[in-house]
Order: sequence, then C-alpha cells, then structure tokens
Amino acid sequence: MKIIETVHASEEVQTVETAAEGGVLASLGINGTLFAAQLFNFTLVATILWFLILKPLSKKLTDRQKMIDDSIKNSKKIEENLAKSEEKFQEKINQAKVESNKIVERAGEEAGKAAEAVKTKAKQEIETLIDQAKKNIRHEREEMKMEIKKETAAMIVLALEKILSEKITDKKDKELIDEMVKKIQ
Amino acid sequence: MSAIHIPTLAPEVVFHIGSLPVTNTMINAWVAIGIFLVVGILVRSKVSNLPGKLQNFWEYIIELILGYFDQVTADRKKSLRFLPIAGSIFFFILLSNWLGLLPGTGSITVGNNFVLRPANTDLNLTLAIALVSIVASHLFGFLTVGIFAHTNKFIQVGTLVKSFKKGPLGIFSAIVEFGVGLIEIAGEVAKVMSLSLRLFGNIFAGEVLITVITSIVSVVLPAPFMLLELLVGLIQAGVFAILSVVYMTVASAEPHGVEEH
Repeated sequence: MKIIETVHASEEVQTVETAAEGGVLASLGINGTLFAAQLFNFTLVATILWFLILKPLSKKLTDRQKMIDDSIKNSKKIEENLAKSEEKFQEKINQAKVESNKIVERAGEEAGKAAEAVKTKAKQEIETLIDQAKKNIRHEREEMKMEIKKETAAMIVLALEKILSEKITDKKDKELIDEMVKKIQ
Repeated sequence: MSAIHIPTLAPEVVFHIGSLPVTNTMINAWVAIGIFLVVGILVRSKVSNLPGKLQNFWEYIIELILGYFDQVTADRKKSLRFLPIAGSIFFFILLSNWLGLLPGTGSITVGNNFVLRPANTDLNLTLAIALVSIVASHLFGFLTVGIFAHTNKFIQVGTLVKSFKKGPLGIFSAIVEFGVGLIEIAGEVAKVMSLSLRLFGNIFAGEVLITVITSIVSVVLPAPFMLLELLVGLIQAGVFAILSVVYMTVASAEPHGVEEH
C-alpha cells in the first residue's frame, strides 16, 4: 500500500514564522517588499505590452479602419460622381443628337438651296450659252448670207462678163448656170 | 513512501538579490516578461499595413478582446483608452497561468523549494494587479468626469451642502446619499479584494489539484485537469480584464442625478 505524506513546501521555514510575526496577511504570503516587486513586475509587463505590442497594433488597426472607412466614403463619392457623369454624358449625348439632327436638317436645307442655286445658275448659264450660240449661229448665218451674196454677186459679175464676151445661147446659158451652181455648192 | 509537496499560500523564496527575496512566482513572472519582450520586439519591428503572420495573429487577438470590451463600454474609443491597462492585465494573467502548466513548474527544485510556480498563485501579484486596475479606474474617473464630481461619488459633501436649500426631505436624502458614498468606499476595497482573491484562489486551487493528481498518478490522469486548467487560466484572465473594464467604465461615467444639479 502506498502511503502518501503531505508536506507543505518550506512550511516550517517560512509560513509559520511569518504568520506568527505578521498575522493573517503574512500567512497569506503578503509582504511589502514582495508586493512592491510584483507591482514593479506588472508595471514592466504593462509597459512592454503597451509600447511594443498593444499601442502599435491598436494604432495600426485604427488607421486601417480609418483607411477602410475613407475608401468606402471615396467609393461612394466616386459612384455618385460616376452616376452624375453618366447623367451629364447622357444629357450631352441627347443634346448632341438634337444638335446633330438640326445640323443635318440645316445641311439638307442648305444643300437643297445650294442645289437649287446651282441648278438655277446652270440653267442661266445654259440659257446664256444657248443665247450666245443662237447669236453666233445668227451671226454666222448673216455672215454666210453676206458671203453668199458677195460670191453670188461676184459670180454674177463673172457670168455677166462671160455673157458679155460670148454669145449666149439657151444651152450655153443653162450650162453656165449649172456650172455656177456647182461652184457655189 | 512518497511525499506530496503541496504549495504553501505564500510563495517560496528561491534566492536573494541583495535584500530582495526572489520567489518562485517572481521567476515565473520574469519568464513571462522575457517572452513578452521577445515577442514585442518581433512584433514592433515588423509592424506594417500588410500584416505578416505574427502581426495578423496579434491583431486578431486584439480585435477579439476589443470586441468584448466594446460590449461593456459600448464605445470603441473608450475600449481603446482602457486597452493599455485591461489588455496588459489579460495577456499577463493568461501567459502566467499557462506558463504554470509547462513541465518544470512544480517539479524543478532548489533545496526544498520549487523554482517555478504560477505567478498568480502569489497574492502579492494578484493584489498588485487588482490595485492597479482599481487605481486606474479612479484615474479615468478623475480625467473624465472631473476631480470634484468623481470624489463626490464617494464623499458626497457637495450634495449635502446643496441639500440645505431643499428642505428637510432633501437634507435627509443627502444624509442617506452620504452614507451610501461611504459604503461605496468600502465597495472599492471589496473590489480589490474580490479581484485579487478570485484569481489567486482559482489558480492556487488548480495548482494544488494538479500537484495532488500528479503525485498520485503522474501519467495520463493529470492531462484532463491540465486541459481544464488551460480553460480556467483563460477564463480567469478574461474575467479579471472584463471586470477591470467594467470598473473603469463605471468610474468614468457621469454620477447619477448630475443632470438635476
């Protein structure tokens, strides 16, 4: 059978003596020097934890949270701006469409007018050309008439000269006339 | 015949540095300080916007405990304000408790004394932490609501003086409030005692339990109790830290009926 003896470590050395000297607090192990030392230990731990871990990381967490909040705000602003821009874009597009339609209409009208003007001008020019041609033809005809008259007169003169130099028979007369006519042609 | 070395209530003095007695709980606290120093330097040197594994782990833990603090304070700014004290309390108690479960604690001896013993089985330490917590709560009270308003929560002389204008009923009410204020002072002492004794009692009991179980059967049987102690260590650290946050939140709140004055 295993016999177990219960021994409180250093019981005789410390606890009993201190309990007798300091009462209840001492029996619980409370000691001014040890308390001060443990207080210093905890202060040291708190300092190390705060300056090396908690402060930088909590600051980083706060900064990151701020960054996220700012990003969300910015993204909302960007979305709003985008929506506004799209509205403006659509407005501009609609405006441009209206203006382009007007321009096309105006261009059509102007083209119609220009075509009409060109047509009228062409008509006038053609008429002018025709008039000019008619004038030219008339002039040439007059000139030809004059020339024919001159030629005829010259031939008549020649014919007369021949008639006067030769006795003209009916047959001869006819031959002369035919010859003259051939020359004229 | 085998002897069970049940730890005494008082920590055991292992050696002296000059006139300063160095106890085994103090050595445990120094080990914790060393670990925090090494981890702290590692974390501090690598803090960046894009966290590494270590920073990520610590940020996760801090975010987690800040979430619990927020449930008490209902304000992240207040939680961040209390973090230096409450966070340090939580991490130190947790590590000290868990260090007590490492092999060597309660087994390596110098003379008749164990070299290592869980730091929170020393009432000096738990009392020191509790005192820091309560003193900090009053400092936050002074800084937040003002020295006079905060002092008036306990020594309600101002309320008593003002009550003379309100007639007999007002004076009677002020006398009652003055008495309640004095009870509040006793309550502050009770807070220190409850905080320190709760932590000390739980961890000391756990240490005694594991010592006894290990002495009876040193293999397998202590494992479930050690796992239980892991949980107890976490719960006690959490309870201490959350209670500290509660005290700091209450102390930094405006006193009742301040709107009426």
